[in-house]
Amino acid sequence: MIQIKHLSKKFGELVVLKDISIEIITGEVIAIIGPSGTGKSTFLRCLNLLDRPSGGSITIDGINILDAKADVPKVRQKMNMVFQSFNLFSHLSVLENLTLGPIKLRGMSAKDAELKALDLLKLVGLAEKADSYPDELSGGQKQRVAIARCLAMDPEIILFDEPTSALDPTMVSEVLSVIRRLAKDGMTMAIVTHEMDFARDVANRVLYMDEGLIYEEGTPQQLFDNPQKEKTRTFINRIRSFNCQISSPDYDLYAMNAEIETFCEKQILPKKTRQNLLLLVEELLQIYNPLLSTTLLDLTIAYSEKKESLELVLESTGEAVNPLDKNLQPDELGLNIINNLTESIKYQRVNDKNRVTVLMKKTL
Amino acid sequence: MKYCSLKAVIICLVIFAVSAGCGKNETVITGFDDVKNAKIGVMTGSTGEGVARNRFPQAQVKSFDDIMDAVAAMKSGQLDAIMTLIPAALQVAKKNPEFRLLPEPLDSEDTAIATKKGNDDLLAAVDRIISDLKADGTLADMRKRWLKADMTPYVEMKITLPKEGNVLKIGVSATREPFSFVDKDGRVTGHDGELARIIGARLGRPVVFSDMKFMALIPALQSEKVDLIISGMNITAERQKTVNFTQPYFANAQVMLVKNRGETPRIAGAKLVSTEDLKDKRIGVMLGPAHEGRAEPKAAPVSFFAGIANSFQSNIIQENRYLLLLDGLKTTVAISVLATLIGTLLGALVCVMRMSKRTVLNLPARVYISILRGTPVLVLLMLVFYVVFASVNISPVVVAVIAFGMNFAAYSAEIFRTGIEGVDTGQTEAGIAMGFSKVQTFIHIVLPQMVRRILPIYKGEFISLVKMTSIVGYIAVQDLTKASDIIRSRTFDAFFPLVMVAILYFLISWLLMQSLDYLERRTDPKLKRRKVARA
Repeated sequence: MIQIKHLSKKFGELVVLKDISIEIITGEVIAIIGPSGTGKSTFLRCLNLLDRPSGGSITIDGINILDAKADVPKVRQKMNMVFQSFNLFSHLSVLENLTLGPIKLRGMSAKDAELKALDLLKLVGLAEKADSYPDELSGGQKQRVAIARCLAMDPEIILFDEPTSALDPTMVSEVLSVIRRLAKDGMTMAIVTHEMDFARDVANRVLYMDEGLIYEEGTPQQLFDNPQKEKTRTFINRIRSFNCQISSPDYDLYAMNAEIETFCEKQILPKKTRQNLLLLVEELLQIYNPLLSTTLLDLTIAYSEKKESLELVLESTGEAVNPLDKNLQPDELGLNIINNLTESIKYQRVNDKNRVTVLMKKTL
Repeated sequence: MKYCSLKAVIICLVIFAVSAGCGKNETVITGFDDVKNAKIGVMTGSTGEGVARNRFPQAQVKSFDDIMDAVAAMKSGQLDAIMTLIPAALQVAKKNPEFRLLPEPLDSEDTAIATKKGNDDLLAAVDRIISDLKADGTLADMRKRWLKADMTPYVEMKITLPKEGNVLKIGVSATREPFSFVDKDGRVTGHDGELARIIGARLGRPVVFSDMKFMALIPALQSEKVDLIISGMNITAERQKTVNFTQPYFANAQVMLVKNRGETPRIAGAKLVSTEDLKDKRIGVMLGPAHEGRAEPKAAPVSFFAGIANSFQSNIIQENRYLLLLDGLKTTVAISVLATLIGTLLGALVCVMRMSKRTVLNLPARVYISILRGTPVLVLLMLVFYVVFASVNISPVVVAVIAFGMNFAAYSAEIFRTGIEGVDTGQTEAGIAMGFSKVQTFIHIVLPQMVRRILPIYKGEFISLVKMTSIVGYIAVQDLTKASDIIRSRTFDAFFPLVMVAILYFLISWLLMQSLDYLERRTDPKLKRRKVARA
């Protein structure tokens, strides 16, 4: 139904979309996920030309809509959009919000448009709010009205631009269930969302966008259970990390500890976990200490919100040797403490660096 | 609302009456020696201004646009003396028993007709007519008929003017009885009015008067808005630099008008001696002593309410003066409404240009807005009249509509812009995403919200426009304020015409406001529902 080839978009010097090619088939539900600022919304807005693409082509039912001759408003009628901030017409009642388009754009009689609008309001569960005004509705209700307003134009595809991002958590589900229902009815949809479980549930296909590209795509199972690329994995597992570099034996341990504590607080880790982590880091650095005068140590602590696991990666320069090798240690005390606190320790030689990956035990 | 305003008006009336009644510490003036440190009122741009400053360097000289303003100021105790020309002074003394003339003139001056430099044919023709009028005694007769110390009605000469032909445009400041004033039929008459008609008749040209502020007369002559100034204008060296004067037709003098001493109000009278010999104009005017006046019946003390009734009679009813007010009212409303319409349309255009991303459109709009908002509208009005439309025969009402429209446009453009920018862009996007074109989105989504948003400010701007139009008198438009000026120049009563005009302005504003309120209610989306709920 929609073919997109080599789509790119620049805002001045800033390249937001580099090169995007994809085909959307009728009846498909596509979820677009990815970190903020990677062009997901811009991609959606390029589809209905709210933002004019800088290059590439968009073909809908065989018509290139980037052609100067294309009747863009007509095309837009076929693919309506639901916005993050609802964007209901605040001077019109709920019913009038739904009837304005059909009456003015499709020449429907006021009576027919109203009957249809009432049906749609029933569908989204808001028939009794027909005479209310947008400022009298809750966020979730507004977004459901916005969806009904889209449906009133009988679109072939609906573009959802983060439909639940502006809602407070208690209202997210009422909006998502309406979208689920549309998916069940076979509506073609492209949904930019941060609700992973929802994306997994409702989509036929998931696009992970990063660096202005479709970084990885696949079925929900492929992408969520077995992401192929590093960045995808980081994103899917909702990994947050803390990184610091140590270049001399006289580093400021207390300042670093304070930073690690702050990181833990942000991730809302329990006190016990926090203490274990600090202990683990201290013991590891104790072992690395003799090396620090000659090598550069790069410490990364990564927390996966999804798996609730803490991983420490220590990368050091110098000759290829595992710094945690039993034989290099003067005594086994430090190593014992480390082993007690960890689930696994792996050593790899990567890019001329010694990489030690430590997975911390979960604290109960 | 109605009662409130009524109360407010009554309170104002009382305060005004009380404050007008209690005089401030007054200096009683009996001769020029007492004037040294006094407060003297003079007419803006008149020869008296210079005379006052030269003769009384220590006095406070305050200048007024019109004699009646100075009279009102002296009545309320803000002035000790007024310097003005003898015809006006006579008139004031005649109508205000509490004033009298000091017997000595301060100087002597020549009153003549002014023409534009270069218009020598007309100058010569008018000069010849004046010579004839002097020779056959017409001027002396006119002087007798128009400058009288008593209140008997004026006898006007019957003059038949041609109906068609090259119109002779006369510039006059018709708030100077008995030289030039507006009579009960709304005609300009008086000594100068009659003189103008005589000249018109002798030249075989129909006469049209342009009634404007005295200081606006010379600019009007130079921009060819008028052909002749016949308005008691005295020859001065300064004026001769810019205009040409005919030979004098009247021997004039600056005199001083002061408050009467003693308890009994008397009519200050003046006797004119030797009015015949205009050639020997240095002794042409002599002032008689004050006691020759005739007692007036209305000098008897009257109660406050009777006073109001009297004022109403003389300011509104007499000579059908309410017709003047009514005409002024129409003009004020017409200028306000038309200027608002033009200003709104032009403002919309400027707003579109201002919001354009292209500098070619954007920059002129910005410049227009800053200049127009940074210039007093009076200056703009005069610029349009005397510079832009100089030598173009255009009705001053049209000029006023254009000037106020231009001014209003600058404000409304910015009001519209704020209104449009206040509608969040998300709704515009939603409209466009739905398939509306940009224009459709504006009409169906932005405009209704914008109108509702800007109406309160727009209303305020509109009301201030209505009130601002009160300055159109400067370019010879007879609006409501000018109508009150004309009445005040006849009755020398500040209180009643001003209050009357204040009330009328309030009523206009209130009525026009009601219509905008109606629009505001109509654009309230929730009104419909509230109506349904009530029913």
